[in-house]
Amino acid sequence: MFRASGRAGREEYQERLSLQRDEGKFAQGKIGLLQYVTVGVFLFLVGGYWNLQIRNEDVYSLKAERNRIKSFPIPAARGKILDRDGRVIVDNHSSFSVLLSRENLQEEHLAPIAEGLNLDYEELVARLNRFRKRPKYQALILKQELTPAEIAFVESHRDPDTFPELELIHTERRVYPGNGFAAHMLGYVGEISESELNQPEFVKNQPGDLVGKTGLERQYNDILTGEDGQRQVLVNNKGEERRVLGFKAAVPGESIQLTIDLDLQTVAELAMEGKRGAVVALDPRNGEVLALTSRPSYDLSKLASRDRGAEWREITTNPEKPLLNRAIQAQLAPGSTFKPFVALSALESGEVDENTSFGCGGGFNFFGRYFHCHKKSGHGGTSLKKALAQSCDVYFYQVGNRIGIDQIAKWAEIAGFGKKTGIDLPAEASGTLPSTKWKIRALRERWYGGDTISVSIGQGYLTATPIQLAHGMGGLVMGGVWHTPHLRKGDAPQKAARKAEIDLTHVRTIMDGVCDVVNGGGTAGRSRLPNGEFCGKTGTAQIASNEYQKAKGIRLKDNAWFVAFAPRVNPEIVVSVLWEEGEHGPDAALIARDVVKAYLDKRARKQYSQGAGEGVQVKLEQPAGLSSGERTAEND
Amino acid sequence: MIVLLAQLVLLAVQVKNNQDVRLIRVWAVTAITPLARVLEGVRANTIGLAGEYWELWNVRSVNKQLQAELDKTKLENHYLREELATAKRAEAMAAFVQRNPSKTIGARIIGAGAGASSKVVFIDRGSTSGVMRGMAVITPDGIVGKVTSAYPTGSMVVMITDPTFACGVISNKTRIHATAKGQGNNQLLVDYIQNEQTVEVGEVFYTSGDDRIFPKGLPVGTVRVAKPGKLFKEVYIAPTAFDKGLEEVLVVLEGVHQQLPEWNLQTGEGPMAKPLPPPEGSGDAVPVPASPTPATAPASTSSEGVGPTTDADRLLNRYKELGAEQGVTFGAGGKIPNFNAPKTPKPAPEKN
Repeated sequence: MFRASGRAGREEYQERLSLQRDEGKFAQGKIGLLQYVTVGVFLFLVGGYWNLQIRNEDVYSLKAERNRIKSFPIPAARGKILDRDGRVIVDNHSSFSVLLSRENLQEEHLAPIAEGLNLDYEELVARLNRFRKRPKYQALILKQELTPAEIAFVESHRDPDTFPELELIHTERRVYPGNGFAAHMLGYVGEISESELNQPEFVKNQPGDLVGKTGLERQYNDILTGEDGQRQVLVNNKGEERRVLGFKAAVPGESIQLTIDLDLQTVAELAMEGKRGAVVALDPRNGEVLALTSRPSYDLSKLASRDRGAEWREITTNPEKPLLNRAIQAQLAPGSTFKPFVALSALESGEVDENTSFGCGGGFNFFGRYFHCHKKSGHGGTSLKKALAQSCDVYFYQVGNRIGIDQIAKWAEIAGFGKKTGIDLPAEASGTLPSTKWKIRALRERWYGGDTISVSIGQGYLTATPIQLAHGMGGLVMGGVWHTPHLRKGDAPQKAARKAEIDLTHVRTIMDGVCDVVNGGGTAGRSRLPNGEFCGKTGTAQIASNEYQKAKGIRLKDNAWFVAFAPRVNPEIVVSVLWEEGEHGPDAALIARDVVKAYLDKRARKQYSQGAGEGVQVKLEQPAGLSSGERTAEND
Repeated sequence: MIVLLAQLVLLAVQVKNNQDVRLIRVWAVTAITPLARVLEGVRANTIGLAGEYWELWNVRSVNKQLQAELDKTKLENHYLREELATAKRAEAMAAFVQRNPSKTIGARIIGAGAGASSKVVFIDRGSTSGVMRGMAVITPDGIVGKVTSAYPTGSMVVMITDPTFACGVISNKTRIHATAKGQGNNQLLVDYIQNEQTVEVGEVFYTSGDDRIFPKGLPVGTVRVAKPGKLFKEVYIAPTAFDKGLEEVLVVLEGVHQQLPEWNLQTGEGPMAKPLPPPEGSGDAVPVPASPTPATAPASTSSEGVGPTTDADRLLNRYKELGAEQGVTFGAGGKIPNFNAPKTPKPAPEKN
C-alpha cells in the first residue's frame, strides 16, 4: 500500500507520524503541568500546615482557645469609709455594668450601642482607641450603674444575632452622700488616665481600672481597692454560654475609719450651704480632723462614673471653682485671724508684754503712708488683750513695726504657716509666709517696712489655708504642741507632733484676748454661747488693696474668717472658717459657733450617758490640754 | 340367616302395631329422613348465608361511601371553621391595626425551625416588604418575637420563649420596670425586680419600650409565679400571644409608644378586658423607630424612686429637720441650735 501510494503516501505517513509526536508532546506537557500544579498545591498546603501547626502554633492555639473560652471580670467592691463612730459615709451598692467584648466587636454596632446606652459616640470611640494597646480579650466597661431601661436594652440586644459584643455584669458601685457632702475630703473614683498610669502610685494598675482620683479615695486607694475576681465560661460558636470553667471570687477592699465626726461634719455642711468657703474642725490634742468641708461642692456620684463627660465639663468650667478643696487649697490672706500669732511673736520676742499699750486714733502713718484701723474713730489706748478682743489694727501695726517681719515669720513658721500641715489628703497647698529672705528669693526685691505693717494684720504677701489656721491655733492653745492633722483613725502611723518652747503665760494672755472677742465685748459678741465656752478670733480680709480697687473701679467684698477653740479651759476642738466674700468676720463666727455647739452638746450627751451607766449623774472628762487659767497655774 | 331373622322380627312388630304401611317404606323413610333434614338444613343455611353475605357486601360499600361523605363533610366543616377563625383573627387583627398607632404589616407563619425545641418561625414577609432585622413581631394578643434575619420574601423570627430573647417590660399595676427573658419553655422570667417590690399573680406585664424594639404598651404575659429570690424576685409570666394559636402576625415597621391600660384599683380587675386606648389624644404616644438603629425613643425612667443613701444622708436630713423644728438656720445667727433637744413627735395623720 505504501509502495502503491508512492511519494504522496510517504508524505502523508510522515505527516501522521509528526502529528502523533506532537500529540505525545502535548500530552506529556499536560501531565508535567499537572504534576507541577500538584506539587505547588502540596507545598502550599504544607506551608500552611507548617505555619498553623509549628511556626505560629502558640498564637493560633491561643486564638482558638479564646474563641472557645470567654473570661468576665468580677470587679471587687471597694472598702467602705466610716466616721469615727462607725457610721457609713461612703458605701457600696449592687448595680449592673455593661461590658464591651472587643473580640466580638463590629465597628458598625458602636453607633446604635452608644445610642441605646445614652453614651457619647465620639467619646466611646476615643475610649476604644485608648484601649487599642491592650489585649483584645480584655473587655471594656462601657457603662456602669445601668438603669432598668438600659438593662432592658442590653439584655434584648446581646443575643448572637444582634450585638454579641455586649455583656452584662453585676458589680458593686460606690454610694456617696448626696448634696456634695464632704465631697472634697472623700474624693471619687474614676477610670485611670494615661498620665496616672505613668505615676508610681498606680504601678499595679492597668488601663480601664477604677482608681481613687481625689481626696481620701486617692490617698487610701491601695487599702480601699480590692482584688478583682474572674469567671471563665465555655461558649459555643454563637457565643452562648455552655459551661462555667472557672470562678475566682473577688476580694473586697478594706474599709477605713475616719476621725471625722459625722454630727459636726453635717452641721458644717449645713452652715456652709449657699456660701463659698471652708470649715475645718480639729482636735488640737491629737490632730484628729473632726470636720472638713469646702463649698461650693459637687455631686460625687456623677463624677464617679466612667461616662461623666457633661458633668465634668460643667464643673471644670464653673467660675466658682467647685473642684477646689478650699479647706486645704484656698491660699488667701487670713486677715485678723493672724493677729494671735503676731501677738505670740511679739510676746516671745520680749519687745511687747501683756501690759504694753498703744494708742489708736483710727489709723497711723508709717513710712509716709497712712494705714487705717477698721474702726475709724479709733480704739484709744489699747492693750494686747483689748487689741485682740477688738481687733485693733493700729496696735498690731505698731507691734509689727517694732518686732519686724522676720520675728513674725519665725513664730508663724513654728505655728505651721507657709508649709503644708501634712494632712493625709493629696494636693495640699502650702500658703505663703513672707520674710525678707522670701521676698528676695521669690520676688527679687528687698523687704520694705510697709510690707511688715500689712503682714502684721494678716494681709500683704501673707496667705494661709483654713487648715493651716486651725492647725496653728490648735498648737497655740496646746501650749506649743502642733499635732499633724489627719483623717484616718486607728493604727495608721501618725507623724510626731512638733513642739516649741513657749512661755505659757504668753499663751494664756493670747487665749484670754481671743476669748474676749466672743465673750468680752469683742468683735464677735453675737456668736457667744451661754456657757462662755466658745472663743475665737475674727478676720475680715481684703482681697485686693484699696488702691487697686480704686484704680480698677471695682468694689470687691472682703473675705470673712474666724478661728475658734472650745472649751475655754482645756480646749478640745479648734475650728477655722473661711467665707469668701462673706464681708464680715463676725458672720463667719456664727458658722464656727454652730459647729462648736454641736461638739459641746454631743460631749454633754456622752458624759450624761457615761454617768448614767455608772450610776453617776455627770462624769466630766479631764482631757489633756492647756487651760487659760488653772492649767497654767498647775504647770507653773 | 340374620337378615331373615331380622325380617321376621320386624314383620312381627308391624303385625302387632297394626299399621297399614309397608315395612320397607318405613325403613326407607326412617333411613332417609335424617339425611334429608340435614341436607335441607344445609341448603337453607347456605342460601341464607349467601343472601346475607350479599347484603353485607352492599352495606360495606355503602358504609365506605357514607364514611367518605362524612370525611368530606368533616373536612369541609373544619375548613369552614378555619375560615371562620381566620376571618375572626383577620377581623381582630384589622381592628388592632386600626387602633394601634404603630405602622405594621401582616404576615403569615409558613414554617418552624428544625428541632423539637426550636423557638424560631418563618414568616412570608421579607425585605421586599420592608421587613428588617430587629423588627418586632406581634399579634393583638401580645408580642411574638423579633426578626433575626430578613430575606427577600421571608424572614426568620426568634420567639419570645427562646432562651436568647429578652425585652423590656413594665407592670401596669405597679409600674415596675424589668426585663422579660425567654426560658426555652412556655414561660418567661421577669428579671431584675427587687425582692422588696410587690408583684402579684394575675398581674399583666406590658412592653415598656425600654428595649427600643417593642413599642410601649403591648401585652407580654400574665404573672403565674411571683416569689422572693436570692438576688431578685422570681417572677414567671405566661405569654399572652400564644393563647389562640399563632398563624398570622404583624411586623412592626415603625413603632409608636402607647399608654398602658389602667389597673382598676377599686375592683382589682386586670387590664386585659379593656381595649388599648386609641392613639388619638394619647399623651405619651412617641414614635419609636424599629431596632437596631433607634433614634428617638426616649430612655424611660425608673420607678424605684430615690437611689441608695448612706448614714451621712440620713443624718443630714435629721439635722435639717432639727433646724426646721427649732427655727434655726445653721451658720446664720439668730437662735442657737440645741442638739440635745428631744425630737418633736410628728402629728398623727388624720383618719377619714
